Amino acid sequence: MALTLVGVSVIVFLMLRLVPGTVVEQMIGADAVVSPAMVAELKRFFGLDQPWWRQYAIWVGSLAHGDLGTSWRTGKPVIALIMERLPVTLELTGLAVAFSLLLGIPAGIVSATRRDGAVDNVTRVGTLLGLSVPVFWQGTMLILFFSIYLRWMPPVVWVDFFTDPRRNLTIMALPALCLGTASAANIARITRSCLLDVLRSEYIRTAAAKGLTHRLVVLKHALKNALIPIVTVAGLQMGILLGGTVVVEEVFTLPGVGRLVLWSIYQRDYPLTQSTILFIAVMFMAINLAVDVLYGYLDPRIRYSA
Amino acid sequence: MSTLTRRQLLKAAGLTAGAAVVLPGRASAQAKPGTFVTAQTSEATGLDPQLVPALSRSRRSPLTYNQLVRFEPDMTPVPELAESWTTSADGLTWTFKLRQGVKFHDGQELTSADVKFTFDRLLEKSASGKADFNALDKVEPAGKYSVKFITKEPFAALVASLGGFFGFIISEAGVKKHGGDLNKGALGTGPYILDDWKVEQQMVFKKNPSYFKKDVPHVDQLIVRVIPDEANIVAALRTGQIHHAFIEDNKNYNLLKEEKTLTGYRSSRLGYDYLNMSANRGPLGDVRVRQAISWAIDRAQVMRVATAGFGRLTAPATAPMKQWQLPEEQWMKYYKPDVEKAKKLMAEAGHASGFTVKCMVIPTFPTMVSGAPVIAQQLKRIGITMEIENVEYAIWIKRWIAHDFDMTLNSTPGYADPDTAFFRALHSTKGQNWNSWSVPALDAMLDEGRRTMDPKKRKEIYDKVQIAILENVPHLWLYSADLIDFTQAGVKGFRQHPTALLYGLEGVSV
Repeated sequence: MALTLVGVSVIVFLMLRLVPGTVVEQMIGADAVVSPAMVAELKRFFGLDQPWWRQYAIWVGSLAHGDLGTSWRTGKPVIALIMERLPVTLELTGLAVAFSLLLGIPAGIVSATRRDGAVDNVTRVGTLLGLSVPVFWQGTMLILFFSIYLRWMPPVVWVDFFTDPRRNLTIMALPALCLGTASAANIARITRSCLLDVLRSEYIRTAAAKGLTHRLVVLKHALKNALIPIVTVAGLQMGILLGGTVVVEEVFTLPGVGRLVLWSIYQRDYPLTQSTILFIAVMFMAINLAVDVLYGYLDPRIRYSA
Repeated sequence: MSTLTRRQLLKAAGLTAGAAVVLPGRASAQAKPGTFVTAQTSEATGLDPQLVPALSRSRRSPLTYNQLVRFEPDMTPVPELAESWTTSADGLTWTFKLRQGVKFHDGQELTSADVKFTFDRLLEKSASGKADFNALDKVEPAGKYSVKFITKEPFAALVASLGGFFGFIISEAGVKKHGGDLNKGALGTGPYILDDWKVEQQMVFKKNPSYFKKDVPHVDQLIVRVIPDEANIVAALRTGQIHHAFIEDNKNYNLLKEEKTLTGYRSSRLGYDYLNMSANRGPLGDVRVRQAISWAIDRAQVMRVATAGFGRLTAPATAPMKQWQLPEEQWMKYYKPDVEKAKKLMAEAGHASGFTVKCMVIPTFPTMVSGAPVIAQQLKRIGITMEIENVEYAIWIKRWIAHDFDMTLNSTPGYADPDTAFFRALHSTKGQNWNSWSVPALDAMLDEGRRTMDPKKRKEIYDKVQIAILENVPHLWLYSADLIDFTQAGVKGFRQHPTALLYGLEGVSV
């Protein structure tokens, strides 16, 4: 894990510096009379005159002390900016996951138990579409549809959940739906195929032979055993959803971490971009760890020993 | 596609029904009464009215600051923080009498010391601002409420610069309070006080209760919201989520003009879109080639595609620069496309078989993106292959400053005075000379125009300057896109400004 982190940090650091243009040009703007001395002074101020390895060492050094650095463009500590925006991204991801599980698992179950029936076919086509539609297009279309035909759109002035839960959920409903659509489709497909697999096994026939109702067989005996791959996929989806928030937050202009990263890249605010992406990487790893732990709970055969 | 849409929508409808508990009817956007919400696509990169040259900054500056002089929407200068001014006989000293009793947001009174501090800091620290005031020598207080501007040479454009993008008056206490610069905070004398700024989200302003204009502002709170995709701004206007928006992509005018709940505003812009050419890049150095390009391009067609027809062709001095305008017949004749003439000029320059050039386009500027292919198509007719390079804004700025381009599409908010409009861009030695060119006769005229105080003589000089520009083609004035704003029908007191600066929000009411 530590190795992954080092890898991420190096890649993020170098990729950023490969992109032409620095914060200095951004600050000066297009219309300026600039003296080379002034540019040099600004570069020195931001430490951009140092060789890249020294810049990297300085960054990692402060990370080791728990300091994510200070944003060049806003002058605020990076950690404060992340903490200000993290709740929005987490809420969005959480709602999207909830939506995709609530829609995906039932759809997969229904589809599997009525294999090749009309419902199954509709669900399969639906999931394929859900997977194929790009999030940004879906978001824009939803906004257009709602605003033109229903004369409604999510409020544009942000309110957090604790200030006004009703208004907050009104803002979040469409973005979460957009973000969760592809995941719901994915989960529906995986649920269907895993369930079909399990339903063919011997012990399911035994269970049915015992005279259990079909419902009980499916929901209790089959589903729990089919859950492991579903949880794996759902866990991976969480990571993908975290990445997807960048697009959704931009389309719906939500004040989350994703937009912060995007803005920082445009502004060439290196400390902000680097540390925020690293932060997201850590979160991604934490989610994967949580999924691993969950396996043990779902399947007693999987236990980790030291 | 239609199935797809329907399916998405059915899903959406399903969820909406599920979430019906949380969805109110048609939401009215405002957090509380007395709040005015406006939206735009771009965030300000910083707020310091001297250090940040970007238009996104200038547009917001009138909300928190004032200038000594302000240009009315018809571009006549009127006193603002200054009550009146006089010029000495030699034209080297301007004396401004300040309005008394004007208070900064921290309660301190505006005096001549603040004006001096403002321009001392500008000349010392502001690379771009200095260019607006480069004939200014120094500023000296002459009593508490009177201040002298001393110039190195007669400087006729001083008033225009004072009312321009870098004329906003700040205070020393304000700079100190915000830790050395005014990028993240604001402390001026303006109608609104900056209360909170969440980057890439919104700025919240509250009413300045002791604003020197007693009858404004009418609203208690002003929110400037950033919504990067203009389609969403259109949707927000339609659904009543925001009170006002400045429309950047003129095609959207068609989408909104029939809406009964909205009021549309459309007028001429001071700025314009243009095509820069580097005169040090191969064939572009030959004036005949540049003339050929000018004759080959059908500006009216470019304008129709780039602005959906909501714009006008323009002489070097745009329509709002009224007194400086050339009579239409004098410039329009240069804009009548003539492919044969263009081909002949190309042949004379030894480029009958054409050549290839690259043209930079910034993908986030809708007029550039839609205009560039039209221009490429038209240049094809005289054998020039124009390759369009999409260049992200940050990289574009870097290359622009380094003069590293063959051609680039460009856009400017414009200038009130011909000196600021032409000197900086076109003077080959004293300006920035973005086109890397040199026409000594034009340099001499620009010098003379700057020194001449008599308006009638100045007008004659700048008429000649404009003709010289049209003849020598440093860059192509393509068109001036109309300025488009929409407000909810119930909004009163909004006024457009040819610079696109947000002066018009001072007196709005809901």
